[in-house]
Amino acid sequence: MDEMSFKEKTITVTLINFSLILIYVLWRLRRMLATDTFVAERIFNLWGWVIFFAVVVSIIAIILANFGLTLLKAINENNPNPEIDDFEDERDQLIDLRGTRITYSFYSFGVLIAMLTFVLGQSALVMFTVLMVVGLVAQIAGDVTRLVLYRRGF
Amino acid sequence: MGRITNNIKTLRFLNGEMTQKDLAKRVGVTRQTILAIENDKYSPSLEVAFKIALIFDVPLEEVFTYEADETD
Repeated sequence: MDEMSFKEKTITVTLINFSLILIYVLWRLRRMLATDTFVAERIFNLWGWVIFFAVVVSIIAIILANFGLTLLKAINENNPNPEIDDFEDERDQLIDLRGTRITYSFYSFGVLIAMLTFVLGQSALVMFTVLMVVGLVAQIAGDVTRLVLYRRGF
Repeated sequence: MGRITNNIKTLRFLNGEMTQKDLAKRVGVTRQTILAIENDKYSPSLEVAFKIALIFDVPLEEVFTYEADETD
Protein backbone atom coordinates (compact mmCIF):
# COMPACT_ATOMS: atom_id res chain seq x y z
CA MET A 1 0.00 0.00 0.00
CA ASP A 2 1.28 3.45 -0.89
CA GLU A 3 2.22 5.88 1.84
CA MET A 4 -0.74 7.93 3.07
CA SER A 5 -0.79 11.69 2.63
CA PHE A 6 -1.16 14.07 5.56
CA LYS A 7 -4.86 14.52 4.72
CA GLU A 8 -5.50 10.77 4.52
CA LYS A 9 -3.93 10.26 7.93
CA THR A 10 -6.08 13.05 9.38
CA ILE A 11 -9.24 11.55 7.85
CA THR A 12 -8.33 8.07 9.14
CA VAL A 13 -7.88 9.40 12.68
CA THR A 14 -11.19 11.30 12.47
CA LEU A 15 -12.94 8.20 11.12
CA ILE A 16 -11.63 6.01 13.97
CA ASN A 17 -12.58 8.67 16.50
CA PHE A 18 -16.14 9.10 15.19
CA SER A 19 -16.64 5.34 14.86
CA LEU A 20 -15.64 4.90 18.52
CA ILE A 21 -17.97 7.76 19.52
CA LEU A 22 -20.84 6.12 17.61
CA ILE A 23 -20.18 2.76 19.30
CA TYR A 24 -20.08 4.51 22.69
CA VAL A 25 -23.34 6.41 21.99
CA LEU A 26 -25.16 3.26 20.82
CA TRP A 27 -23.91 1.34 23.86
CA ARG A 28 -25.08 4.12 26.25
CA LEU A 29 -28.46 4.34 24.48
CA ARG A 30 -28.91 0.58 24.71
CA ARG A 31 -28.16 0.71 28.44
CA MET A 32 -30.58 3.61 28.94
CA LEU A 33 -33.35 1.74 27.16
CA ALA A 34 -32.61 -1.48 29.05
CA THR A 35 -32.67 0.24 32.45
CA ASP A 36 -35.57 2.52 31.55
CA THR A 37 -33.47 5.67 32.09
CA PHE A 38 -34.02 7.24 28.68
CA VAL A 39 -34.60 10.73 30.09
CA ALA A 40 -33.71 14.26 28.98
CA GLU A 41 -31.00 14.76 31.61
CA ARG A 42 -29.08 11.66 30.54
CA ILE A 43 -29.49 12.35 26.83
CA PHE A 44 -28.19 15.91 27.15
CA ASN A 45 -25.31 14.63 29.26
CA LEU A 46 -24.51 12.12 26.51
CA TRP A 47 -24.77 14.87 23.89
CA GLY A 48 -22.25 16.95 25.88
CA TRP A 49 -19.80 14.03 25.84
CA VAL A 50 -20.33 13.54 22.11
CA ILE A 51 -19.44 17.20 21.45
CA PHE A 52 -16.41 16.92 23.73
CA PHE A 53 -15.12 13.75 22.03
CA ALA A 54 -15.93 15.05 18.55
CA VAL A 55 -14.13 18.36 18.96
CA VAL A 56 -11.48 18.20 21.67
CA VAL A 57 -10.47 14.55 21.37
CA SER A 58 -10.42 14.73 17.56
CA ILE A 59 -8.00 17.67 17.63
CA ILE A 60 -5.74 16.00 20.21
CA ALA A 61 -5.85 12.66 18.34
CA ILE A 62 -4.92 14.30 15.01
CA ILE A 63 -2.01 16.18 16.61
CA LEU A 64 -0.74 13.06 18.40
CA ALA A 65 -1.14 10.82 15.34
CA ASN A 66 0.74 13.23 13.07
CA PHE A 67 3.42 13.75 15.71
CA GLY A 68 3.82 9.99 16.14
CA LEU A 69 3.86 9.25 12.41
CA THR A 70 6.38 12.04 11.73
CA LEU A 71 8.58 10.65 14.50
CA LEU A 72 8.31 7.18 12.99
CA LYS A 73 9.22 8.52 9.54
CA ALA A 74 12.22 10.37 10.99
CA ILE A 75 13.43 7.15 12.64
CA ASN A 76 12.82 5.02 9.51
CA GLU A 77 14.57 7.48 7.17
CA ASN A 78 17.22 8.32 9.77
CA ASN A 79 16.54 11.98 9.00
CA PRO A 80 15.81 14.43 11.84
CA ASN A 81 13.83 16.70 9.48
CA PRO A 82 11.67 14.41 7.29
CA GLU A 83 9.72 16.11 4.50
CA ILE A 84 5.96 16.02 4.97
CA ASP A 85 3.32 17.09 2.47
CA ASP A 86 1.21 18.89 5.04
CA PHE A 87 -0.70 21.06 2.59
CA GLU A 88 -3.92 20.66 0.62
CA ASP A 89 -3.76 20.56 -3.16
CA GLU A 90 -6.60 20.57 -5.71
CA ARG A 91 -7.17 16.80 -5.43
CA ASP A 92 -7.49 17.00 -1.63
CA GLN A 93 -9.99 19.84 -1.95
CA LEU A 94 -12.04 17.98 -4.56
CA ILE A 95 -12.14 14.81 -2.46
CA ASP A 96 -13.08 16.87 0.59
CA LEU A 97 -15.95 18.46 -1.32
CA ARG A 98 -17.29 15.08 -2.42
CA GLY A 99 -17.05 13.75 1.13
CA THR A 100 -18.87 16.81 2.45
CA ARG A 101 -21.61 16.26 -0.13
CA ILE A 102 -22.11 12.69 1.11
CA THR A 103 -22.14 13.93 4.73
CA TYR A 104 -24.82 16.50 3.92
CA SER A 105 -26.89 13.97 1.96
CA PHE A 106 -26.83 11.49 4.84
CA TYR A 107 -27.62 14.20 7.37
CA SER A 108 -30.50 15.60 5.31
CA PHE A 109 -31.99 12.13 5.06
CA GLY A 110 -31.44 11.67 8.81
CA VAL A 111 -33.19 14.94 9.64
CA LEU A 112 -36.14 13.73 7.58
CA ILE A 113 -36.25 10.44 9.54
CA ALA A 114 -35.93 12.35 12.84
CA MET A 115 -38.86 14.58 11.92
CA LEU A 116 -40.81 11.53 10.83
CA THR A 117 -40.39 9.96 14.28
CA PHE A 118 -41.87 13.16 15.76
CA VAL A 119 -44.73 13.16 13.29
CA LEU A 120 -45.43 9.52 14.12
CA GLY A 121 -45.96 10.42 17.76
CA GLN A 122 -42.54 9.87 19.33
CA SER A 123 -41.22 12.39 21.87
CA ALA A 124 -38.92 15.31 21.03
CA LEU A 125 -36.21 13.45 22.96
CA VAL A 126 -36.34 10.58 20.46
CA MET A 127 -36.10 13.07 17.61
CA PHE A 128 -33.09 14.72 19.26
CA THR A 129 -31.40 11.34 19.80
CA VAL A 130 -31.96 10.34 16.18
CA LEU A 131 -30.42 13.67 15.07
CA MET A 132 -27.37 13.02 17.26
CA VAL A 133 -26.84 9.48 15.93
CA VAL A 134 -27.47 10.51 12.33
CA GLY A 135 -24.92 13.34 12.67
CA LEU A 136 -22.28 10.79 13.67
CA VAL A 137 -23.27 8.36 10.91
CA ALA A 138 -23.16 11.20 8.34
CA GLN A 139 -19.66 12.20 9.44
CA ILE A 140 -18.48 8.56 9.20
CA ALA A 141 -20.06 8.15 5.75
CA GLY A 142 -18.29 11.30 4.54
CA ASP A 143 -14.93 10.14 5.88
CA VAL A 144 -15.35 6.64 4.37
CA THR A 145 -16.16 8.27 1.01
CA ARG A 146 -13.03 10.44 1.24
CA LEU A 147 -10.81 7.43 2.02
CA VAL A 148 -12.36 5.37 -0.80
CA LEU A 149 -11.78 8.24 -3.26
CA TYR A 150 -8.16 8.55 -2.12
CA ARG A 151 -7.55 4.81 -2.61
CA ARG A 152 -9.71 4.08 -5.68
CA GLY A 153 -9.28 7.40 -7.48
CA PHE A 154 -11.92 9.22 -9.50
CA MET B 1 -17.11 9.98 -21.15
CA GLY B 2 -13.67 9.34 -22.62
CA ARG B 3 -10.50 8.48 -20.81
CA ILE B 4 -7.40 10.62 -20.23
CA THR B 5 -4.07 8.80 -20.21
CA ASN B 6 -0.60 10.26 -19.76
CA ASN B 7 3.12 9.73 -20.31
CA ILE B 8 4.35 11.34 -17.12
CA LYS B 9 6.26 8.25 -15.97
CA THR B 10 8.18 8.10 -19.28
CA LEU B 11 8.78 11.86 -19.32
CA ARG B 12 10.11 11.74 -15.76
CA PHE B 13 12.51 8.99 -16.77
CA LEU B 14 13.67 10.94 -19.84
CA ASN B 15 14.21 14.07 -17.73
CA GLY B 16 17.05 12.78 -15.61
CA GLU B 17 14.96 10.18 -13.82
CA MET B 18 13.07 12.89 -11.99
CA THR B 19 11.33 11.55 -8.89
CA GLN B 20 7.60 11.92 -8.21
CA LYS B 21 8.55 14.00 -5.19
CA ASP B 22 10.61 16.45 -7.27
CA LEU B 23 7.87 16.79 -9.87
CA ALA B 24 5.23 17.28 -7.17
CA LYS B 25 7.31 20.01 -5.56
CA ARG B 26 7.75 21.84 -8.86
CA VAL B 27 4.07 21.56 -9.77
CA GLY B 28 2.90 22.50 -6.28
CA VAL B 29 0.89 19.38 -5.48
CA THR B 30 1.46 16.40 -3.19
CA ARG B 31 3.41 13.32 -4.30
CA GLN B 32 0.22 11.29 -3.91
CA THR B 33 -1.48 13.48 -6.51
CA ILE B 34 1.32 12.87 -9.03
CA LEU B 35 1.03 9.14 -8.31
CA ALA B 36 -2.76 9.26 -8.81
CA ILE B 37 -2.33 11.13 -12.13
CA GLU B 38 0.29 8.63 -13.35
CA ASN B 39 -2.00 5.72 -12.51
CA ASP B 40 -4.93 7.39 -14.34
CA LYS B 41 -6.82 7.65 -11.06
CA TYR B 42 -7.13 11.42 -11.22
CA SER B 43 -7.49 13.90 -14.07
CA PRO B 44 -5.74 17.13 -13.04
CA SER B 45 -6.99 20.66 -13.60
CA LEU B 46 -5.87 22.48 -16.74
CA GLU B 47 -3.50 24.58 -14.64
CA VAL B 48 -1.69 21.53 -13.24
CA ALA B 49 -1.68 19.84 -16.67
CA PHE B 50 -0.05 22.90 -18.28
CA LYS B 51 2.46 23.20 -15.43
CA ILE B 52 3.52 19.56 -15.95
CA ALA B 53 3.90 20.13 -19.70
CA LEU B 54 5.95 23.29 -19.05
CA ILE B 55 8.27 21.47 -16.64
CA PHE B 56 8.99 18.78 -19.25
CA ASP B 57 9.13 21.46 -21.98
CA VAL B 58 6.74 19.58 -24.27
CA PRO B 59 3.28 20.41 -25.66
CA LEU B 60 0.31 19.40 -23.54
CA GLU B 61 -0.78 16.69 -25.98
CA GLU B 62 2.57 14.94 -25.55
CA VAL B 63 1.84 14.56 -21.85
CA PHE B 64 -1.87 13.84 -21.91
CA THR B 65 -3.93 11.91 -24.45
CA TYR B 66 -7.70 11.90 -24.65
CA GLU B 67 -9.24 8.60 -25.70
CA ALA B 68 -12.81 9.23 -26.77
CA ASP B 69 -15.58 6.70 -26.21
CA GLU B 70 -17.30 5.21 -29.22
CA THR B 71 -20.44 7.07 -28.15
CA ASP B 72 -18.60 10.46 -28.15
